[in-house]
Amino acid sequence: MAEKILDVKDLVVEFNTDRGGVTAVNGVNLEVFKGKTLGLVGESGSGKSVTALSIMRLIPTPPGNIAAGEIRFRDKNLLDIPLDNMRSIRGNKIAMIFQEPMTSLNPVFTVGNQIEEVLELHQKELSNAQRKEKAIEMLRLVGIPSPEQRIEEYPHQLSGGMRQRVMIAMSLACEPDLLIADEPTTALDVTIQAQILELMKKLQDELGMGILLITHDLGVVAETCDDVAVMYCGQIVETADVKTLFAHPQHPYTKGLIESIPSFDSTSGKVKDRLPTIEGMVPSLFNLPEGCNFQGRCQNVSEKCRGSAGEPKLETIATEHQVRCFHPLS
Amino acid sequence: MSEYLLEVQNLCKKFPIKGGIFGREVGAVNAVNDVSFKIKKGETLGLVGESGCGKTTLGRSILRLIEPTSGAVIFNGQNIVDFDANQMREMRRKMQIIFQDPYASLNPRMTVQGILSEPMDIHKLCMDKEVRKKRLLDLLDQVQLPADALNKYPHEFSGGQRQRICIARALAVEPEFIVCDEPVSALDVSVQAQVVNLLMDLQKDLGITFLFIAHDLKVVEYISKRVAVMYLGNMVEIAESSELYGGARHPYTKALFSAIPKPDPTLKKDRILLEGDIPSPMNPPSGCHFHPRCWNATDECRKDYPGVKAESSTHEYRCFNPIQLSEK
Repeated sequence: MAEKILDVKDLVVEFNTDRGGVTAVNGVNLEVFKGKTLGLVGESGSGKSVTALSIMRLIPTPPGNIAAGEIRFRDKNLLDIPLDNMRSIRGNKIAMIFQEPMTSLNPVFTVGNQIEEVLELHQKELSNAQRKEKAIEMLRLVGIPSPEQRIEEYPHQLSGGMRQRVMIAMSLACEPDLLIADEPTTALDVTIQAQILELMKKLQDELGMGILLITHDLGVVAETCDDVAVMYCGQIVETADVKTLFAHPQHPYTKGLIESIPSFDSTSGKVKDRLPTIEGMVPSLFNLPEGCNFQGRCQNVSEKCRGSAGEPKLETIATEHQVRCFHPLS
Repeated sequence: MSEYLLEVQNLCKKFPIKGGIFGREVGAVNAVNDVSFKIKKGETLGLVGESGCGKTTLGRSILRLIEPTSGAVIFNGQNIVDFDANQMREMRRKMQIIFQDPYASLNPRMTVQGILSEPMDIHKLCMDKEVRKKRLLDLLDQVQLPADALNKYPHEFSGGQRQRICIARALAVEPEFIVCDEPVSALDVSVQAQVVNLLMDLQKDLGITFLFIAHDLKVVEYISKRVAVMYLGNMVEIAESSELYGGARHPYTKALFSAIPKPDPTLKKDRILLEGDIPSPMNPPSGCHFHPRCWNATDECRKDYPGVKAESSTHEYRCFNPIQLSEK
């Protein structure tokens, strides 16, 4: 078994809003192993990004508040250490890349400046010349042609794919143990997405970091992740290794998500059937139903799901396969 | 009347680039370059390509929301590029558009009733109060929204419901043709499937013709009978959607399809990884615009732009060195 890098236990994150309190993340458990990729899937508002930001302790407090749980990174509980000390971990041991590369890069500094800043903060022993050399080396590593020139350029001079490569170069400059990628390819075109995913895989093989990949695209999950956790309304509803999850989804929501992706194998000429859908929509976090959160959209709903037996628990049904459902699919 | 509802012939759109202190024209972006296609009545043509390839400009030029530079758009046998403003307004009743972002395309200060009534007011349809009311309820029913939605404001709806309102607004004037400009890109997967199904149902019931623009090839392939692929302002391939996936002749089409992540972890990956970025349309490469990223490029590709070759009556492509079908 590979070394466990990150272990999130029963994480609860709440937000105080004008309309009252909401629990954006409700008892999430995650494990990321060295050299492996965990995919965190879910629709907008399911709490994926809040989970990621909590790991980095970047939740704005107030209004946000990590109410309970543990975030174990190697042997430390990140929630116990003072915020000031977090700065030596962020960008150094745990790095994060965001969805929109344009808004995460500073437009008034050169690319080189921004990569060197990371090194300046975390590797103080390096001289200016060494930092520059390292920045060039990072750009080369992420496949940017003529890095000696690119290092002097500003973000607006780069294309979307190039910017995301720069973001990856920045995040990997200190060789982190854990990389959190929050929808890293959502803003990119498919051919560029393919390049970036390939690059992340290659760098993972070389540097051996664990990746927490947040995405809503199950195609991306199928191609890049080793394990998957599916989130719905702030809770993990199913977790398994990627092959099991796609072959035998146990939660009706997971099954619905997989089926609602149009596939190419439709036979030529014949009138296409309707896409299977999940009826209805995600309930508001302000107004979650009693019992199972998915009851309003579920085909197999019973009295038990409507609250008579409380909330369904995340049950282990096979090795490494857990599901939160009273009536898991066989 | 011909069997084609819409015929686009050699449509071009150039955007001038102004520069210098006097704002002289220093160049031009060929956003849409010599594009021709036909859509049959009741058919859906999918239009795919990466960002900046001119999909949206093409869709808007067809409706003359952007004035095309040259070429013809023949709708129901009439060239609408020659129409004056009055004729065009009349014509817009027949052609509608649904935009990508349902948050930005609905007026936040109008109720759903107001939003759906406006196109009917403009075209003087259903002016009787009773008839109007019935029509509004029918529209909501068609897009599967509850009747009490009429007096609500856009912010009270989720993204998928807002897109349904946009669809109802387009349907209000009983159009024959709708340009769907990335209608599901902003929606979550499960909601996306609902809207795709709705559009397909509407087509079946009302016989509306769609031009479906999207960058998500899976959705396009699903909803369209034929698919056109654009790259840097040019249409590089058009074929039956069932034919395109397995039998693409243009290397770009093949690469584009292979780049889509497949939701099946057991599949073997035989991905064609394209090198480099999409070139800027301000300064496209010589010859075939795709040659710097193409693995089959020859000297010929660097010099000349390939003309249209027909594989069959429904399959056309622009490439000097097409993929041999035995290669696939």
